[in-house]
Amino acid sequence: MLSGERVLDYCWVGAGALVTQTLALYGAQVIKIESRARPDNLRLSPPAKPGQTGLDVSGYFASRNSGKKSFALNMAHPAARDIAAALARASTIVTSNFRPGVMDRWGLGYADVAAANPAVIYLSMPMQGNDGPHRDYVGFGSTIAAAAGLVHPSGLPGRAPLGTGTHYPDHVPNPGHALVALLSAVYRRVRTGRGAQIELSQFESTVNLVGPALLAGSAGAPPPAPAGNRVPGAAPHGVFPCREPDTWCAIAVGTDAQWAALCTALGRADLLADARLGTLLGRKAHEDRLEEEIAASSRTVEAWALMRRLQDAGVPAAVVATAQDVLADEHLRKRGYWVQQDHPAMGAMTVAGLPFRSDVDEAGPTPAPLLGADTWEIAESVLGMHRAEYERLVAAGVLT
Amino acid sequence: MSPEPLEPLEPLAGVTVVDWTDHTGAYAGRLLADLGADVVRVVPPGGDPAARVGPFVPGADGRPVSTFERFVNLNKRSVALDVAARDGRDVFLRLAGRAQVLLHTAARPTLAALGLGPDELAAANPGLVQVSVRPFGATGPYRDHLADDLVQLAAGGLLSLGGYADTAPIAVAGHQTYLAGSIVAAGAALLGLLGRLHDGRGRAMDVSVQEAIAGALEDAVPTYDLTGRVRRRLGEVPREAGTGTFPCRDGHVAMVAGRLGTAKAWTALVRWMAESGVDGAAELTGPVWEDFRHRQSEPAIARFREVFGAFAATRGKAELYAEAQRRRIALAPVNDVTDLRADAQLAHRGFFVPVDDPVLGATLVYPGRVSLVDGRTTLVHRPAPAPGQHTGEVLAELGVGDEQRTTLVAAGVL
Repeated sequence: MLSGERVLDYCWVGAGALVTQTLALYGAQVIKIESRARPDNLRLSPPAKPGQTGLDVSGYFASRNSGKKSFALNMAHPAARDIAAALARASTIVTSNFRPGVMDRWGLGYADVAAANPAVIYLSMPMQGNDGPHRDYVGFGSTIAAAAGLVHPSGLPGRAPLGTGTHYPDHVPNPGHALVALLSAVYRRVRTGRGAQIELSQFESTVNLVGPALLAGSAGAPPPAPAGNRVPGAAPHGVFPCREPDTWCAIAVGTDAQWAALCTALGRADLLADARLGTLLGRKAHEDRLEEEIAASSRTVEAWALMRRLQDAGVPAAVVATAQDVLADEHLRKRGYWVQQDHPAMGAMTVAGLPFRSDVDEAGPTPAPLLGADTWEIAESVLGMHRAEYERLVAAGVLT
Repeated sequence: MSPEPLEPLEPLAGVTVVDWTDHTGAYAGRLLADLGADVVRVVPPGGDPAARVGPFVPGADGRPVSTFERFVNLNKRSVALDVAARDGRDVFLRLAGRAQVLLHTAARPTLAALGLGPDELAAANPGLVQVSVRPFGATGPYRDHLADDLVQLAAGGLLSLGGYADTAPIAVAGHQTYLAGSIVAAGAALLGLLGRLHDGRGRAMDVSVQEAIAGALEDAVPTYDLTGRVRRRLGEVPREAGTGTFPCRDGHVAMVAGRLGTAKAWTALVRWMAESGVDGAAELTGPVWEDFRHRQSEPAIARFREVFGAFAATRGKAELYAEAQRRRIALAPVNDVTDLRADAQLAHRGFFVPVDDPVLGATLVYPGRVSLVDGRTTLVHRPAPAPGQHTGEVLAELGVGDEQRTTLVAAGVL
């Protein structure tokens, strides 16, 4: 569906790579620029299969670059600029997530690209935006999450704040917000021919995730305090131990009917008969004891059996799934979420598909490219380069 | 007669979206409304289901107002309509009939019972892009499983990576799965719209929140797939010295010094500590410590925490932020929402936008944008509506006359 789009892609490492992966899976030709002189850092990241080494065997890299073309271009070489400019002229979309100024130094700033290609859609994803006192600040998903207010309210009272335990902004909100802006600009361009400049500050984008708390703060409410897994409108509401070591089931009881169903499913007529626990207010007032009682029962049941038993009884519940669990999850498998790939360097591997299905369109399963795998094909088909010129540029250290 | 503008300023100008979602999908329409779509939110006459989610602040009449609902409904119009009533269904079909996108969170059996299944909607509007947002998607063995934010975090796997090593897994705050599923849904809606431009056909897009979360597991999936190792929660003590969350004089800071095998930030950090004269800094200097494999050993992680802890205990988070960044070390304060309002960068960029709120009867300050499009600094077009605020206006656009509207109101449909 995006088969008319060609993307000149300078998105490395985290958030940006997921934006252009979605474009590639939906048929865009995504030309990822990197070089042996300066590969995408993610190519150096674990994990790799035991015994495999080099720039083409990172499972992390492979999990966010499916379907892309790799064009080896050494941007440090002066001759690279003209080639990059020619690719930008031939592209409908240009993307990057470098610090402000990097693309400009290469002659690939928005003004440069748009002068030759006015209908271009140009996405940049600088961490703190292209201007302002912190424009050159450095960070990763986890520090962006901390600065943006996502970490502070997450954790147990009196202990260090936690957040998600990951670089979460890189994985859903920032690529997701950027994709929405980018696709809306593509929609406008198809209808009107007009290009667009999109700047997504990863910091600002992430601040939206605490939007409701910001609004409350502006109306005078104090910042939310960490409360573990407890929430005001439900009890019990938490993560409870199951029979095997370090296995857990999340249980969320939002109504009195769900409370009754939980007691029955756990065989706890004693709790059901306790009038003090019959209402949400009563359960909140005795939440410590309530959680101990539920844990005493959950501990005797295998996690998946407990989830099924509670769901059958109408109680919201799910096993706290590890990566191993989600890969084995029968539901995700039946939905075709996991994609089996035969990667040219790594062999058989499994990657996550897109988190939605269409009844019309199918996303492609092409594995991530080897570094520079498509340089000649792109040089010939997009730039009209002759083989002798290509070989000269390879030997000169430009196309490498 | 005024012609259609040839170059609409807003990317989604002219796109009509019917937003019939609960709290789990409402942010999707918000994102499309920000970009210029006319998003008509359909809520039951009893009120907006998104208003069941907090935080809450006291409204003018003393009743609690959900700022979650205020946040997700910015830039929308609101119609109060009982879709389950027969006449309500007819109005809904007229609304969906002239829209390009329908966002909903209803289960398939519910839709079928209402006569609003995918095929019936497609019959009413063959070009309609139908986007379903469900905790486990519209199909598969768990399609009817019940979930809230915590349960969705568990099912998608992210909860297994959160929490302290010595406690149960702990969820990130702020109903993140409701926002994550919605972000994915907005992207799916746009892919559907582009497909529709391509071949003129509508589509049914089936969004799974579990899958949206399972896509956020970082290296955990390839790590298990390729090595058999299961990644688990580590709390504030991650896998490498120089990385993690650390207490300081007035709160905490988060830092990543030396990820991916580069020693530059690590060296700068140790030099900074050494210059300050903190005990133990000299011990962290040298080639052994510049090797990330050493920094990933347990003794190295523990020793670093002691030394950096002593260093940070006498310094505030703002001071640490400024000086670390001057030295090109990726350190950031663990901000709360009050800190954010004082952030110099956000202030410089005019990020926060005050909006007079019709429900609260007071000013609410919004994050002014998700991204900057065409250099426009704010995407705030109109306040979040009161439930049903635009019922009359929208019905008039549908050609429902005053008389018919009075009948529908009397029947409790509007």
